[in-house]
Amino acid sequence: MNINKSNPLLLHPLNKWMKKKKWSWFPHQIETFHHVRTGSDIVVFAPTGAGKTLTGFINPIDDLIKLKKFKGLHTLYISPLKSLANDIVRNLEKPIKELDLNISFQVRTGDTTPYKKQKQKQKPPNILITTPESLALLNSYENAKEFFHNLKYIIIDEIHTFLDNKRADLLSLNIERLQTFSPNLQRIGLSATLKNKQDAKKWLCRKKPKIVSYENSVLPKIKILESKERIPWSGHMATYSINRIYTEIIKSKLTIIFVNTRAQAEYMFKNLWLINKKKLKIAVHHGSLEKNLRLKVENNLSKGLVDCVVATSSLELGLDYGDVEKIIQVGAPKGINRLLQRVGRSNHNLNTPSKAILVPTNRFEFIEAKAAIEEIKKNNLDKIDLKEGSFDVVAQHIFATACAGQFDINDLYKEIIKAYPYKKLKLNDFKQLINLIEDGGYVLKNYDQFKRIFQLRENKNIYKLVNRRETRKYRMNVGTIIENPMLKIKLGTKTLGNIEEIFIQNLSQGDSFIFAGQVLEFQSMKNNLVQVKRSKSLISKIPSYSGGRMPLSTNLANSVRALLAKSNIWDLYPEQITEWLKRQKNISKIPKKDEYLVEQFPRKKNFYTVIYTFAGWHANQTLGFLLLRGFKEFNYKPLGFVANDYAIVLWSLKEVKEIKKILNLGLLDKHLDNYLEETSIVKRLFRDNAIISCLIERRLPGMEKTGKQVLFSSDLIYTVLKKNEPDHILLKSSYEDAKKNMIDYDRLREILKKIDKKIILKKLTSISPLAVPIILEINRENLSKKETDEYILEDLENEILKEANVLSIN
Amino acid sequence: MYYQLINFGNEEFHAYPNKSLYWKRLNTLIISDLHLGKSISYAKNKQFLPPYDTKEILNKIFVSLDKIQPSNLIIVGDLLHDVFSTLSLKDQDHKNIAQYTKNTDFIWIKGNHDKNIQIEGFKNFINHKIDKFLFTHKPIETSLFQICGHYHPKVKISHRGKTIFKTCFVHNEKIFILPSFGILTGGLDIHSKQISDVLDKNNLSIYPVGQDKVYKL
Repeated sequence: MNINKSNPLLLHPLNKWMKKKKWSWFPHQIETFHHVRTGSDIVVFAPTGAGKTLTGFINPIDDLIKLKKFKGLHTLYISPLKSLANDIVRNLEKPIKELDLNISFQVRTGDTTPYKKQKQKQKPPNILITTPESLALLNSYENAKEFFHNLKYIIIDEIHTFLDNKRADLLSLNIERLQTFSPNLQRIGLSATLKNKQDAKKWLCRKKPKIVSYENSVLPKIKILESKERIPWSGHMATYSINRIYTEIIKSKLTIIFVNTRAQAEYMFKNLWLINKKKLKIAVHHGSLEKNLRLKVENNLSKGLVDCVVATSSLELGLDYGDVEKIIQVGAPKGINRLLQRVGRSNHNLNTPSKAILVPTNRFEFIEAKAAIEEIKKNNLDKIDLKEGSFDVVAQHIFATACAGQFDINDLYKEIIKAYPYKKLKLNDFKQLINLIEDGGYVLKNYDQFKRIFQLRENKNIYKLVNRRETRKYRMNVGTIIENPMLKIKLGTKTLGNIEEIFIQNLSQGDSFIFAGQVLEFQSMKNNLVQVKRSKSLISKIPSYSGGRMPLSTNLANSVRALLAKSNIWDLYPEQITEWLKRQKNISKIPKKDEYLVEQFPRKKNFYTVIYTFAGWHANQTLGFLLLRGFKEFNYKPLGFVANDYAIVLWSLKEVKEIKKILNLGLLDKHLDNYLEETSIVKRLFRDNAIISCLIERRLPGMEKTGKQVLFSSDLIYTVLKKNEPDHILLKSSYEDAKKNMIDYDRLREILKKIDKKIILKKLTSISPLAVPIILEINRENLSKKETDEYILEDLENEILKEANVLSIN
Repeated sequence: MYYQLINFGNEEFHAYPNKSLYWKRLNTLIISDLHLGKSISYAKNKQFLPPYDTKEILNKIFVSLDKIQPSNLIIVGDLLHDVFSTLSLKDQDHKNIAQYTKNTDFIWIKGNHDKNIQIEGFKNFINHKIDKFLFTHKPIETSLFQICGHYHPKVKISHRGKTIFKTCFVHNEKIFILPSFGILTGGLDIHSKQISDVLDKNNLSIYPVGQDKVYKL
């Protein structure tokens, strides 16, 4: 018998527990065990329900049992969410307790009490479960090296959520720090399936890199909601289908309705409540709600005490809600990965398919939903692009390093460039970041006595923190997630959650709005607290939250184009959609997969140009601004534009005759800098950069503004800096961020590079069917903040003058 | 430069979008709350603001002086931010000031931030009376018309569903408050307690400062 050789896990301490549970080991678990045991860094790709968490712990538990009464920290587990960290503890507890294994484990997040944290530092558990921010904090303590010097494993859960953002940068730097502390450290990544698995491997693994992958053969069952009502032309609220959605909720035991924005969540919740004749238990869950309210919903969800939860991406990750029977996705899926992640929330059993229903809220979304279903059948996932490391995160890391003790800048630089995102970090940029932490890094120096870190006289390469008090400042500003200024909402003495300051500023006393599923009346605002009371008002606003707008993925966009062009299957669509497409074909044209349709037509004295790029909202928004400039240059007198994921529409006083001369790569090269100057994009990103790099301090919720403690507007700093020191590292950093995130520069460049040969120009006498949705979206202003302010002042003054004149006549 | 005409105490004043006030009859330019060197004094708490504010503010003044050529420049307090502020004045700055004081009297009404610091070329006063007007940093008990600073007034304007917050000139019958001429200086709502304690809410005239124009509400 050689079974132990083929499956070494049969000798594993957990095998007994597995047997008791009548579970068997997955092949990827056996493979992982082997590779890690032979010294590999590894990334494991497996769907939810395939024992992913356990997979990460197989080697650590085996080691810990063999080492017998190991003292100190052995394994670090990094989770993207605090709530997930708690869930991991519960999962780990079961086998360890039931088998009475002598292994200690604890969680450490922002919610852990200072007392517990202190105890953990004195007597660390064998396994510590934490978040990237808490890890960064641990590394900033003076005894970090002793704390971590025996660390054997670091497990990164849901590593796919860490690849394309600043949190990934922060984490990568801290992993390298751990590796310095403990050279034998091995890295284990756990991920949902990914298209570019090699990239995840490159990002994480150093020693004998390996990939282990387990694909789920059971495909989810996804369909589009059938409805007799007309799918609207435009909009995102799915009001037309609310009764059908309600019927679907009744049909299943437990449903999660996913929507794309917090405003949609509140709106959907309110509408369901209005027709809730059967008194179903419906709850709402989104990131702005108070932690306790969210936990309550999560708890009820896992205990099956609710019938339905309306949620945003806040419920997308991790937690295992075994009883969820059905997922309803309202609104565009936006991307394959995202949809799969959401669909995977139902039915955590590998052998039965997840069930999901898609509810398109407008006609383009219907095509998008269809396309997404097709791609999921083909298992064609979106690629997650690795990002190059951001400067501001390095600055924060330098500060953290200084908090832990004096350091040699050459050693630090060598360590940083080992992290994948910072492979290409230039020494010169790094030195500027050192200066940024030292004294702001300005060319004009005039106050040596006020530095934050200083060079030792005897060795200029060694820097030291001026004052231990600074460590407190670092600790209050750690992390890369910057939220807009938020205010706490209080109903009586109960906190309901946080709301964006900008929304409240536009409310007057007595106005009502919907939050946490309740209609509330705004009473007063004091010291960052918004006092509200319950209201019976039928007219209420819904707070909108800036940010979080997900653009359509390139992969799904391509699929939408391909599907649109397949006229032979149109007859399978609901009649209204078929009719819509057929009429488009007759009147104008349906663009082929690689064509760019441009339609032009007169309407109400203006001249309209619609360009179907399918480039996603960010890229289209940028293109719109650039075209506005291009049109101006040709004297077409443009008036405005609106962009969505699929198209851009511009309107002008004069006919746009030479579109091909404007719509090309030259447009991007010529006008981009101008565009970034004039819009507030870079300015807004500068704020994030200034906060992340600890140049200005974060405004924490609940922190009161006192007369003395004026918090600086980053806008002022930005303006002064731009005028006096345009080469400052933080301006450079903000500009890079803009290019990478906000304007989808690379995607736009790709499109414009090849567009001129593929433009199909249609001159029409009136609006085409395909153009209707975007024309309906024209209601937004296209003025910058500066212009809007002037406009408001001008307008108000005129009104007052008018009033004064009238009065004087009377 | 466009200005907004303001009648205060039966005299003609011009409010400029650069946040200065011009008294026509006496050819006098009035500014307030410059807080020179504010960036530097924040650096002592390791908050590193770009140290260009002094240079920019002085330039702003010099441009105004060149254009208007006033006989007097009155600063109604808080020329400096604190005792470290003089560090931000370079030799060239002192030379420039000396040049301008040949044609213009620099009158420095001391504000709460100014302490006992002296700067070559500035004439120091606690407050300064001209005719029926009193120039003072904070308003005091008096029957005179007062022109002051200190509060950095801003006004909240809600119109057509939008709310904006703008720096402003503001006065009632007897008290005029100038906006801050500084660059890194914040502002205070004119309806806040601190301001309404000294400036009666009734009969307020408010002049928000726009990009190139001072408006009247």
